[in-house]
Amino acid sequence: MNTRHSRQSFLGDNSVEVLTQSRVGIIGLCGGGSHVCQQLAHIGIGQFVAADFDHVEDLNLNRMVGSCPADAELHRPKNEVIKDLILRINPNATVEIAGRWQESGHLLRTCDIVIGCVDSFTARDELEKFCRRFLSPYIDIGMDVHQVSNGYGISGQVALSMPGGHCLWCHGILTEDRLAQEQQKYGAAGGKPQVIWPNGVLASIAVGHAVSLLLPWNTDLPLPSLIEYDGNRHITRPGARLQFLKDAPCPHYIGEGSVGDPFFSMAALTPSCPVVPDEQT
Amino acid sequence: MKITFKIPQGLLTDMHRDLSRPHEYAAERVGFIACGASAFGAGGLQFLGDSYHPVADRHYADDPRVGAMMNSDAIRSALEIAYNRNVAMFHVHRHEHYGKPGFSRVDRRESARFVPDFFKVRPSLPHGVLVLSHDSMAGLCWLARDKHPVEIQEFVVVGPQVPGLRAIA
Repeated sequence: MNTRHSRQSFLGDNSVEVLTQSRVGIIGLCGGGSHVCQQLAHIGIGQFVAADFDHVEDLNLNRMVGSCPADAELHRPKNEVIKDLILRINPNATVEIAGRWQESGHLLRTCDIVIGCVDSFTARDELEKFCRRFLSPYIDIGMDVHQVSNGYGISGQVALSMPGGHCLWCHGILTEDRLAQEQQKYGAAGGKPQVIWPNGVLASIAVGHAVSLLLPWNTDLPLPSLIEYDGNRHITRPGARLQFLKDAPCPHYIGEGSVGDPFFSMAALTPSCPVVPDEQT
Repeated sequence: MKITFKIPQGLLTDMHRDLSRPHEYAAERVGFIACGASAFGAGGLQFLGDSYHPVADRHYADDPRVGAMMNSDAIRSALEIAYNRNVAMFHVHRHEHYGKPGFSRVDRRESARFVPDFFKVRPSLPHGVLVLSHDSMAGLCWLARDKHPVEIQEFVVVGPQVPGLRAIA
């Protein structure tokens, strides 16, 4: 193990190799996603797919790790800023950048894990559906600052959506009402309050989930599929809904025929595989 | 072409559970797994395990020369699945050991007899065979009806803490 990763040797003798070979997709590269990318780069993840269609503006500088006023002045694409950030930390990493993730499904489906740091419920719904189709673990983070009677409340959550496990609908993150309200406000949502420290907390939990999936460092790791964050008290706890979901299968992603590319055909591929002789054992 | 086979941990557990059940006269059990498929990276191919279909008790032939012999009804049932759904079908059986399993000559000979038939009902997708051990697996895939099978290079079991296989690898 190299010196750089010697302090994380508890992750296993082969941890450097596993991390180097692992491919993580990060969707949304501002408040949450920039933290996630920074941490994954430090840990030693070797392959990134980083997607965001937006450009850096002044109003992103309060929370986007790795961005600086010059990026805003030049209106640089966020994905390029994040690529630079990752490569500064880990020059050996491979970083593939994309704009709208929906147009980069061929990249995303090759990821071992996808981490969603998106603003909208619609995007969460679409991302989770995509990940379920390609059996990719999906980690979703979200935070909210809302007005309450005595000031403001900061809250958030990290959800782990594993194939066969509970989904964002089970956890109450996605609801028909939320999607409908969002669609009504489409194009007029305005700027939502965002600050850096809750994003950092949630991103760190998401990174912890990702590493524990790749390199479980304990045989009894708790991986609650929902962790709630109270940003006023600075505490996290397993989601209250989990007690009601226990032993109940996810009713939203059941049934057959929902995985793979429904339009796939062998005609689209050019076979060039080495043939195994019939009698070779 | 790199071929990857991805399967949820729960589905793999279900398969092992079924393959562990004793049969009245067959020495082992077999089944089929229906899979989605997609392109994967540069020219690669990925199979995604979707549902497991055990071979029914009455669909085994009583043949003491082999561990398990399916009768024509078993094949017909599996063909029906491929006909009715847009899936790649893989025959599954298990060798009772740990470590990377391999296909015996009998495995190869028998699978070459029935796997190409799946192209009659679902020609757009590849089909094949898997052999499991207690902690690993191997696979052969027919990319076309008239071609020799190719090996599946990588298996990915998706689930928290899968001992022996890597959680995600």
